[in-house]
Amino acid sequence: MAIDTATTKEKIRNYIVQSSHADADKIKDESMIFREGFFDSMGFIMLITFLEEEFGIKTADSDLIEENFESINAISEFIQRKSQN
Amino acid sequence: MSTRKPFTKDIILLENVEAVVSNIIEQMREDVLQRFKRNGAVVGISGGIDSSVCFALAARAFGPEKVLGIMLPEKDSSPDSEMLARELAAKFGVKAIKEEITGALSGFGCYERRDEAVKSVFPEYDPKNWKMKIGVRQSGLFSNLPPVFYLTIIDPEGNVKDKILPAREYLQIVAASNFKQRTRMSMLYYHAETLHYAVIGTPNKHEQEQGFFVKYGDGAGDVMPIGNLYKTQVYQLAEYMGVPKGIIERTPTTDTYSAEQTQEEFFYQLPFNLMDRFWYGFENGYPPAEVAAVMGETAERVESLFRNFERKRTTTEYLRMPPIRNYYRG
Repeated sequence: MAIDTATTKEKIRNYIVQSSHADADKIKDESMIFREGFFDSMGFIMLITFLEEEFGIKTADSDLIEENFESINAISEFIQRKSQN
Repeated sequence: MSTRKPFTKDIILLENVEAVVSNIIEQMREDVLQRFKRNGAVVGISGGIDSSVCFALAARAFGPEKVLGIMLPEKDSSPDSEMLARELAAKFGVKAIKEEITGALSGFGCYERRDEAVKSVFPEYDPKNWKMKIGVRQSGLFSNLPPVFYLTIIDPEGNVKDKILPAREYLQIVAASNFKQRTRMSMLYYHAETLHYAVIGTPNKHEQEQGFFVKYGDGAGDVMPIGNLYKTQVYQLAEYMGVPKGIIERTPTTDTYSAEQTQEEFFYQLPFNLMDRFWYGFENGYPPAEVAAVMGETAERVESLFRNFERKRTTTEYLRMPPIRNYYRG
């Protein structure tokens, strides 16, 4: 089942804002969430758990690369790809 | 004009180890005897390099008769740890006692809580004869992504399975395992209080600054004599003070989980000799390109590494902070 991209991004954004305690205005779709320090190691583990539970995907070792998680845009594309597989 | 020395691989080495040791023991005497008014020191000895160097420093500072070494094994501890700790105590002529903490840990539910989380990831895990550990993958330190933790289980035939640890299980395993370090620290303070001694904290500079310790566990203590020394420098002190070879040559381990695990695979992701030099470059503000040229890396990878170091230092600040109490400023 295709997931609406806008809805996906909104869910991811809401999660990031809530869990990182960051100012919502500072988190854009293209913000580099790790480089800019919104998340640490524990935040990353929790993000993976959230994505797996929310979108029903399974993260493999080979998925753990910056290109898949660096921003809301990247995560959304990653979710779309995983959902199609 | 900057007087900073050019970055080299040897920049980290102590030039006069004898003088460094003298300064540390003088400071330990001043802090423990004069300032804290304590009569000596207790040191938890694990057979690892850090606690051994602290133990040797304490013996030099207060005299062997004013130091107590305490071995604190539990059922997952390596038997080598006790053997090496005994050898250390004999070498420096210091009394050492053993306090087995498995019973206390069972009382806390340490093993049961940990194994419950492991079984929720691997239902086939049998704590009676399987081994487990958690750790990170080494390749991650040059990436902009923080590491994730993996859970590894090993069956009695030696077959290994691992999986990325989900958040809840990761937190439960770590929280349960941290009973070990906190129980040890409770026991150290018991003995310190019965003798009117201070507790020597044994973390080195990396453990302190990267947050590789348990808050109020092995991160506690009254003085931390090697808290500002790189691991390379700790080894220099060990050689100088005559710490037994078996301890110096032992690979640093966490000695926390039932499966053997090096500190590198659990946390640091780099051998300490490289970690020391990169961290030195980072904390002293050397440009990544200068460090990269000396260390045989690319400037881009060293930039990522330095960003990781900065993130580690920032995100672990909570561990190093005492409780904040200035809420009322009347």
